[in-house]
Amino acid sequence: MAIRAFLIVLSCLAAATCRGATFSSLQQTLIVTASPQPAQVLKAGEDEITVTWSLNSTFPAGVDSSYKTVTIKLCYAPISQKYRGWRKTVDNLVKDKTCQHKIVANKPYISSSSNNTFTSTVLRDVPTATYFIRAYAQNSEGDEVAYGQTTDSHKAVNLFEIQAITGRHVSLDIASICFSAFSILSLFGFFFLEKRKSKASESK
Amino acid sequence: MEISHGSYNQKKFALPVDSEHKATEFRLFSAAAPHMRAFHLSWISFFACFVSTFAAPPLLPIIRDNLDLTATDIGNAGIAAVSGAVFARIAMGTACDLFGPRLASATLTLLTAPAVYCTSIADSPISFLLVRFFTGFSLATFVSTQFWMSSLFSGRVVGTANGVAGGWGNLGGGATQLIMPLVFDLIQNIGATKFTAWRIAFFIPALFQTLSAYGIFFLGQDLPDGNYSELHKSGEKHKDNFAQVFHHAVTNYRGWILALTYGYCFGVELTIDNIIAQYFYDRFNVNLHTAGIIAASFGLANLFSRPGGGMLSDFMAKRFGMRGRLWTLWVVQTLGGVFCIILGQVGSLGVSVAVMLVFSVFVQAACGLTFGVVPFVSRRSLGIISGMTGGGGNVGAVLTQVIFFRGSRYSTETGLTLMGVMMICCTLLITLIYFPQWGGMFCGPSSKGKTTEEDYYMSEWSSSEREKGFHRASLKFSENSRSERGRKIGSAATPIDGTPNTYV
Repeated sequence: MAIRAFLIVLSCLAAATCRGATFSSLQQTLIVTASPQPAQVLKAGEDEITVTWSLNSTFPAGVDSSYKTVTIKLCYAPISQKYRGWRKTVDNLVKDKTCQHKIVANKPYISSSSNNTFTSTVLRDVPTATYFIRAYAQNSEGDEVAYGQTTDSHKAVNLFEIQAITGRHVSLDIASICFSAFSILSLFGFFFLEKRKSKASESK
Repeated sequence: MEISHGSYNQKKFALPVDSEHKATEFRLFSAAAPHMRAFHLSWISFFACFVSTFAAPPLLPIIRDNLDLTATDIGNAGIAAVSGAVFARIAMGTACDLFGPRLASATLTLLTAPAVYCTSIADSPISFLLVRFFTGFSLATFVSTQFWMSSLFSGRVVGTANGVAGGWGNLGGGATQLIMPLVFDLIQNIGATKFTAWRIAFFIPALFQTLSAYGIFFLGQDLPDGNYSELHKSGEKHKDNFAQVFHHAVTNYRGWILALTYGYCFGVELTIDNIIAQYFYDRFNVNLHTAGIIAASFGLANLFSRPGGGMLSDFMAKRFGMRGRLWTLWVVQTLGGVFCIILGQVGSLGVSVAVMLVFSVFVQAACGLTFGVVPFVSRRSLGIISGMTGGGGNVGAVLTQVIFFRGSRYSTETGLTLMGVMMICCTLLITLIYFPQWGGMFCGPSSKGKTTEEDYYMSEWSSSEREKGFHRASLKFSENSRSERGRKIGSAATPIDGTPNTYV
C-alpha cells in the first residue's frame, strides 16, 4: 500500500521532468546569422552582437503557425564544455545547460518579415569561453518548438570567443593589500605589547 | 562562589574550581573571565575561520565562470583547502604547548586573514587554489580551542567544553553556505556586477576573522592564573623543552590511534561539506539553492550533535570512567559508518535527506567523543597530541576525497558506501587503546605493579626534571583525573614512595 503510493509519487515526478521538450524533437526551421566573425574575440560589456533570423523558406508554408515568440541565447561550444559538467548538453531541454546566457527573450515572432534583427551589448556577467548563437521559437505556452543556430550540427564551425571582465578593480586590489598589511602589522604590535607586559611582570 | 587557596596568591573565580583552578562547571550563558570568556572567544574565532575556509563552495557557480575553472581545478582547490591544516594543526599544538593558546591562535588567525582578503584579487585557477590552501591553515585554530578548553576546564566537564567549542566552531561550515550567498545577493542589489560582487563578499569573513583575533588577544587569558608569558617570567610556569614535549607526544601510541580514528569522523565531515551539495544537485535534480540548504543543514547539526557527543562522554565517564568514554566512542562512530553506507544506497530524496541528518548527528557526536578522550592521553604534550589528532582529521578528509570522490572511478553514491565501510574498519582500532590506570575497552586496569594516574603522567618527566619541580602541574592533573576511574573506585594503590614505572 505504501509502496504503491510511493510509486505513484515517483511516476508523477518522472512525468513532471519529462514534460519539457527534447532538443532532438525540434525542427531546425530558422536561419540565424550573427555579427561576430569566426574566431573573433568580443569583449564583455563593450562589444555588440547583432543577430538576424528568418524562416527557412525550403520548409512548407504554415510550419511556423505555432511560433509566437523567439528567444536568442549564447551557447557554449564543445571546447568550453569540456571538463565542466555544469555546462553539459542534455537532450531534455529543461535540464540542458548548453545555452545559459540570453541575448533577447520572448521577442514576438513576425512570420512575414524575413529580416528580424536585434542588437545588444554583451552583458558583463558572460564568462570567458567559446560560443555560438542559437534561436528558439516558442509557442504560446513558452515551450520550444523549433530552433536555428549560427553553427553546424557538430557545433564546429563559425564559433567566436568572448573575453569576460575580470571583475577586479584597482580600489578592491588596494583595499585587499591594505587590510592584509594591517593584519600583519597588528600582529607585530601584539608581539611587542606582549613582550612589554612580560617585562613588566618580571620587574615586579 | 568558592575561594580557592593557591599556594602563592588568593584568587576569586566566578565558577567553582579545582586545585589547578580549572572550572568544574560549564555555564554556557556566562562570560565570566577567565574560563567562560575564553570559551566564547575561542569558539567564535574558530567559527570565523571555518566560515572563511568554506566561503568559496557556495559561490562556486559564479567563481568558476569568472576564473574559468574546470571540474579538476575545483576538486583540487577543495583538497588544498583541507590539506594545509594537516601540518598546521600539529605546529599549532606545539605552539600551544610552548607559547600558550591565546598567542598561538591570535597569531594564526591574523596570519591567515591576508589569504582571505587576497581571495578578492584571485584571477586564475592557480591563484584560487593558493588562496584556498592558505586560508585552510586557519582550521588549525581548532587545536588551540581544544587545548584552551582542556587547560581551563576540569575532567568532569572537559568533554562538554571541548564538544561545545568544537561543535559551534564547526557550525561555521554550515553557516557559511547560508551567509555567503546572502552577502553576495546584498552586494549585487547595491549595484555591483556578479564578477565583482563575489570578490567584495569575501571581505566579510576576512574582517570577522581579524576582529576575532583582536578579541582573543585583548580579552583572553591562557590559564586560570594568567598568561604563559607572565607565568614564565614570574617562575610560576616552567617554559618547557620542545624536544621533550615532541618526544613524549610521538611515542604515545594512543595519540596515533586517535589521529587515525578522528580522520574517519571529522575527516568524513569535511569531505561531506565539500561534496554533498553537488551530490543532491546531480542525483536528485534539486536546484542549487535547495542543494545549498541541504548542505548547510549537515553542518548546522553541529549546534547540538558535537556538544552532545562531548556531554555523553562526560556522562559515561561519571559512571564507567575512561572505559565508558572509549566504548561510547566506538559505538557511536561505528553507527556513523553504518548510516554512511545506507546514505549511499538510498535512492529517494526525502529518505536520503533524513538518513543524511541522522548520519550527521552520529559522525559529529563521534568527533565530540574523541575529544573527551584526548585530554587524558598526555598532560605534558597535550598540545601536540591535540594537534596530531586534529591533523589526522584533515588527513582523513584528504584521503577520502582523493580515494573516493575524485575523477570518475566511483559514482558519488558508491563513494559514500565505501567511505562508510572504511569508517567502520578504522574505528576498530579504538579497541587497542589501553590506559594502565583505567583499562581499555576489553581489559580492566592493570593490577600488577604501581599503576596509578600519578605513575602514568609522571612517566613523562625525567627524575632531574622532577627535582626541579617542573612536574607540579601534571601532579595536580593526576589527582584530578581520578574521576576517570568511574563510580566503582578501582583498587589501584597510590604510590607510597619510589620511582614510578615508565609506561608507554
